[in-house]
Amino acid sequence: MWKPVLSSLPFLLLVACSSSASSEGTEFPTERMELIAPASPGGGWDMTARSVHRAMTNDDIITQDFNVENMPGGGGEVGWQYLQRQDAHSTSVNSSLLLTNNLLGQSDLSYEDFTPIAMLLTEWIAWATASNADVQDADELISQLQDDPESLIFGLSPALGSGYHLSTSQIAMLSGVEPRDLQVLVYDSGGEAMNALLGGHIDILVNSMSVLSSQYEAGEIDIHAVTSPERLEMFPDVPTWQELGVDIEFPHWRGVMGPPDMTEEEIAQYDEWFGEMAESDQWQRDLESNMFFDFYMDSEETKAFLEEQDALFNDIIESVGLMP
Amino acid sequence: MDFSIIIDGLFTALQPINLMWLVIGAILGTIVGILPGLGPATGIAVLIPLTFGMEPISALILMAAIYYGALFGGSRSSILINTPGDGSSIAATFDGYPMTKKGQAGQAMSIAAIASLIGGVMAIFGFIFLAIPLAQFALNFGPAEYVMLFIFALSAVVALSMGNIAKGFLTMFLGLGISTIGVDLQSGVHRFTLDVPHLTDGIDFIVIIIGIYALGEVLYNMFNINKAKKPDQNIGSKWFTKEQWKKSLAPILRSGPIGFFLGILPGSGGTISSLLAYSTQKQIAKNKEEYGKGAVEGLVAPESANSSAAVGSMIPMLTMAIPGSGATAVMLGALIMIGIQPGPLLFENSPDLVWTLINSMFIGNIILVVINIAMVGMLVKVLHTPPKVLYPLVLVLSFLGAYTLGYSTVDFYILILAGVLGLLLRVLNYPVVPLILALIVGNDMEQNFMRATVIYDGPVSILFASPITIGLAVLTILSLSYPLIIKLLGRRKKKDHPMTM
Repeated sequence: MWKPVLSSLPFLLLVACSSSASSEGTEFPTERMELIAPASPGGGWDMTARSVHRAMTNDDIITQDFNVENMPGGGGEVGWQYLQRQDAHSTSVNSSLLLTNNLLGQSDLSYEDFTPIAMLLTEWIAWATASNADVQDADELISQLQDDPESLIFGLSPALGSGYHLSTSQIAMLSGVEPRDLQVLVYDSGGEAMNALLGGHIDILVNSMSVLSSQYEAGEIDIHAVTSPERLEMFPDVPTWQELGVDIEFPHWRGVMGPPDMTEEEIAQYDEWFGEMAESDQWQRDLESNMFFDFYMDSEETKAFLEEQDALFNDIIESVGLMP
Repeated sequence: MDFSIIIDGLFTALQPINLMWLVIGAILGTIVGILPGLGPATGIAVLIPLTFGMEPISALILMAAIYYGALFGGSRSSILINTPGDGSSIAATFDGYPMTKKGQAGQAMSIAAIASLIGGVMAIFGFIFLAIPLAQFALNFGPAEYVMLFIFALSAVVALSMGNIAKGFLTMFLGLGISTIGVDLQSGVHRFTLDVPHLTDGIDFIVIIIGIYALGEVLYNMFNINKAKKPDQNIGSKWFTKEQWKKSLAPILRSGPIGFFLGILPGSGGTISSLLAYSTQKQIAKNKEEYGKGAVEGLVAPESANSSAAVGSMIPMLTMAIPGSGATAVMLGALIMIGIQPGPLLFENSPDLVWTLINSMFIGNIILVVINIAMVGMLVKVLHTPPKVLYPLVLVLSFLGAYTLGYSTVDFYILILAGVLGLLLRVLNYPVVPLILALIVGNDMEQNFMRATVIYDGPVSILFASPITIGLAVLTILSLSYPLIIKLLGRRKKKDHPMTM
């Protein structure tokens, strides 16, 4: 399982900070708390929020009244606009859409409008083909694309500019293929795109390992390369893009953020909660059953990580020509 | 097939704890189905936290029972107050509500429940013998096939608006227009969203359904609310007559397989299958003029179809981990959370789980019939409620339902607009169903068409993409020319008539 190297050290420091903060008598929390899942029940954001809720309440990490609220719409926009007007008792799950919605000109909200609290988990992205298509490896796909970028049809979800799309574009760029020439079909969900792959309607499916795994184990599809920095324990036979000479590391992450203008004490309190939760058995079990990978970062690291991701996405979106 | 494992499954399903969850799920599902807007997907989602502590098999039984229970319940409000609980029960208003007006509410509800039972049981047998090959066959449905399927579904329903086919096309195009609201997946362009983030994902067709039917009904009756045509006190007997049963059996048996197969196709689901079952039934019926005026065949056909579609839609979810409807998507997520991995290996790795589920669906359908028929007496009391009390209640439920769909007040405005639209359509005598179906399939049809244009060279090669597309194209032409054929035949008969005199 992949972990940020320095996750434990700042965590200890912050626990120390927060205990001194609470001794100053800052009262937080004082009322009911909510974690916003900016999507309908059942999706990735909802699952993340509910796993957080379960881990936080099962082990009594948060003793305050604590609920998950679903606020679907606009790729997170509805829930996040709401969060912007709340106080520190409200937080929301987020993902790369927070950055890309803004970069693609679909939202005025920026990650800088919120307080970063934590990174929670990530999924790693891979390319898959139907096993009856007899593709040997990713190199074969790349060289075919180099010859004729329009010869293969990609299927991905849920939108242009999503992590699946951006990572594919980055791989194309790094391999000398013009990303604008790629033939991309967009599906509502990973399941629909999987259907299209198995039915032979698309050539390459780009999705998370969690979506790919059951058909992979059944031998229906081949997984060619994954965007993680090292091979994944659960899939020892799947090489990384880096091994194949494509220098990419592309997490499909989810994290938590709070409303703007949170006090340092409040941030420290959340760091303490999430730090403890990330270590809990319940959380680790949920990660494993969903095939999510631990990606915990505290608020400081999260802030730096978001800035880095924003710059990267900006570059890719510009070169794919998706700029508004 | 190994029968001992089926028997084991039966015994597991009959364990008191599982039986208890089955009954709870059946009751909850019925309630969820009756309330407008509250569909099985929401019902299951709300219960997810409850399933965490449960045995996986109990959780699966509970969720499945809510799902098909909601389809039993959905027709209740369609029949009684012309307000479909969700998309799959629209078709139950066509002839179910007229039956109520004729004083046959009790009979309508009991025979609808029986139709659901038979449809469900047929689909369970289909599940046992055909699950895996059918899931494989459904994979052949790519962009071209879906485009043709949706075109066929639309043409079949438009052709239904006998006599005013032009009006049918008009409302269909209105529906297609509304369905373009929201972000276009293939290009990422926002269309007609007016900078309202809630509109990015488009307008939920269920809000429109509730608006047109429930609000439209209230508005229509508001003008004469004080004249209060005392509702027909005679609710008819609770049990249907032998004659009704005779008329119903063939439509029920015909519609079950239609629903089952359409249920397996991801994305089409209960609404389309019940509408297509209704239109098929009407097209082959001899007594067409009775449809829409309380023909029992027109009620049982869609009820049988949507119940078997529910069972069918579990097939791709369990065997491929590909959810075909909102409710199965939520179930898939919940199953993974409790540690069951649906997929091609589920039948090999946990056959006990699969067979217990199938047995429980069998028992559950029987329990649901008992519950639903027992409730007939209670439910018909709704009809004795004076309109002055009933209509405000319908309004409250409609707004609540619309809110729970998207948790947004924007839907209130859409609901009211749809209500006014429903009133206008009714006063001007325009058919509503083409609009609704267009709204449901419009976006999928467009997206699949856009995908097909990438895969194929042009419209002609989409049409001839596979035997499936050709078959669907033939069906489309048949159903569109159908009114014409009838007219020609009718003219000939009229001509013949005087001669024989």
